[in-house]
Amino acid sequence: MAILQVEGLSKIFGHGETAVTALRNVSFSVECGELMALLGPSGSGKSTLLLCISLILEPTTGRIVMNEQTVYDNAWMGVDERRFRRENIGFIFQGHNLIPFLSARDNIAVALEINGVSGRAARQRAGELLDFLELGHRAKALPANLSGGEQQRVAIGRALANSPPLIFADEPTASLDTGRGTKVMELLKRIARERQTAVIAVTHDVRMIEGFDTVWHMEDGQMVKE
Amino acid sequence: MDLAIKDVQRHVGKFVATILGVGLLMAIVLIMNGIFQGNTSDGVWLIDNTATDLWVVEYRRGGPFNEQSRIPEDAWKSVAATPGVAQASPFIIYAVQREAAGRGQQFTIIGYDVFGGLGGPGPLVAGRSINWAHYETVVDMKLGLKLGDSIQLGVHDYSVVGLTKGAVDSGGNPLLYLSLPDAQEVLYQQDNRAHEATLAADRKRLEGAGYTPAQAAKLLPLLSGGSGTISAVLVRLAHGADARKVGRHIEDWLYFNVYTTQQERDLMLAGKLKKMTAILGLFRVLLVIVSLVIIALLIYVLTVEKIKAIATLKLMGAANWVIVRLILEQSVVLTLASFAFAWALVNLTHDRFPRTLVLLPNETLITFGVFFVGGMLASLVGIIHALRTPPSLALGG
Repeated sequence: MAILQVEGLSKIFGHGETAVTALRNVSFSVECGELMALLGPSGSGKSTLLLCISLILEPTTGRIVMNEQTVYDNAWMGVDERRFRRENIGFIFQGHNLIPFLSARDNIAVALEINGVSGRAARQRAGELLDFLELGHRAKALPANLSGGEQQRVAIGRALANSPPLIFADEPTASLDTGRGTKVMELLKRIARERQTAVIAVTHDVRMIEGFDTVWHMEDGQMVKE
Repeated sequence: MDLAIKDVQRHVGKFVATILGVGLLMAIVLIMNGIFQGNTSDGVWLIDNTATDLWVVEYRRGGPFNEQSRIPEDAWKSVAATPGVAQASPFIIYAVQREAAGRGQQFTIIGYDVFGGLGGPGPLVAGRSINWAHYETVVDMKLGLKLGDSIQLGVHDYSVVGLTKGAVDSGGNPLLYLSLPDAQEVLYQQDNRAHEATLAADRKRLEGAGYTPAQAAKLLPLLSGGSGTISAVLVRLAHGADARKVGRHIEDWLYFNVYTTQQERDLMLAGKLKKMTAILGLFRVLLVIVSLVIIALLIYVLTVEKIKAIATLKLMGAANWVIVRLILEQSVVLTLASFAFAWALVNLTHDRFPRTLVLLPNETLITFGVFFVGGMLASLVGIIHALRTPPSLALGG
């Protein structure tokens, strides 16, 4: 079953002679549990696509169907985009983006509390996720006291907190060395297989996408399947 | 999860330093409030605490506080004979700069009729009133003297027999009470050289007027300086007497100026105290504005420091109220804790200030209200900035 369907998506910034086309008629779909890699040089439109399908940036034309709900069809379809995001999408960032004043466990628990889970239940679920990520012993550590790999694993835990059907990973290994980057990618693969969570990973590094189900190249706003 | 408290816990040192800084600023505002009220309170203290109905002073003068007033000592007897006057007493007041309690101090000497006259000290905190015509004094504690101490004024030593608390002149300087003759002696006493010069000048005047040196020598002691003058006559009205009528009678028949206690108070407020009150009021307003601007900047900086975390929260789908609460709560914590520190600091130290601080509870409450509302408004700047932050800021490196 397709968890995400994108059809004829375009995004043009500006008007007239100064108009810049960032996305040109982009179409693809992602199945539950699928690992999709999106490669491409800087400025190719990867971030624009991620912003559009994250419901942050409004496309110019096209259609987006996520989790069987049409969220965009040449116009937003009136979904509460923040609520939709927290229920359907988990984010993993290039720079981890952990909240610096929260412990590893609280960084995960905050995502659950934002989604309406009570404090105690949120902390318990956060603890379980940390155990799953083999970070149970670092639950009380602040991000500043975690290694880069540990921080990224906490970020993955936060993305998984609300069991979203989709995870968007924006350059998840960019700030890690090869060994730690490989481990993070292995973890994402495990999550996709075991939890049937679709993962869309944007990356520059082709070494990290071994084992991915589909690989797309992006250039000048167009997507080409490898 | 309380994100604001978590942030405070994570950065305790920074928050405590910020609270101390803002608290000191607020303390200065509270102190300025106290000085502002203290200036007025000190300014009219003597007028309010001299149990008298009328102040009789030199004709066409606004004495005895706003300008000098000199009237003959005997004038009190004429005033006492005025219809409607129950009691009239001589009163002298002047400021001096003398050595007291081991240091040079400015204080005001009040001379009054110690045998039942008006104008003496109010309730004493220790000791007794002056019982003897000479060489006894009642002083305010602010002067630093204790019961039994003595103070040299001119050629004599005066024993401290009583202590007052909070008895100050319009400048906030302590009061020292003496018997009228002692106060006159201290005021008009001259050292030998000045005394000789005065005698020589008087002798020259007499000889110039045609007196022989022998005659002039006999007349000289009669030309005493000004030791027979006083500053004012204090009047207590008879029961049912009309202050306006009595005052007009004294003005018309004795050629003095007469002020009621309220008029004397108004003279003080519109005269000596007016400019200082305006300056202190202006400083007070400026300090509040500066404090609010600094608080606004601090809250803005606290928000900007967390802007990436805020963008991440928004990208994760956090509702606006989560962001607003984070900023507002820190603003409230900062304002409350800083004000509590300022209040405690001022209350613990206000006795040590050289000027009287009058801390009125309602004014403190209003100041707190201004800071609290100001803090909330200031946090709006941070809130607007946070709410305008795009979630996309969380993406990228």
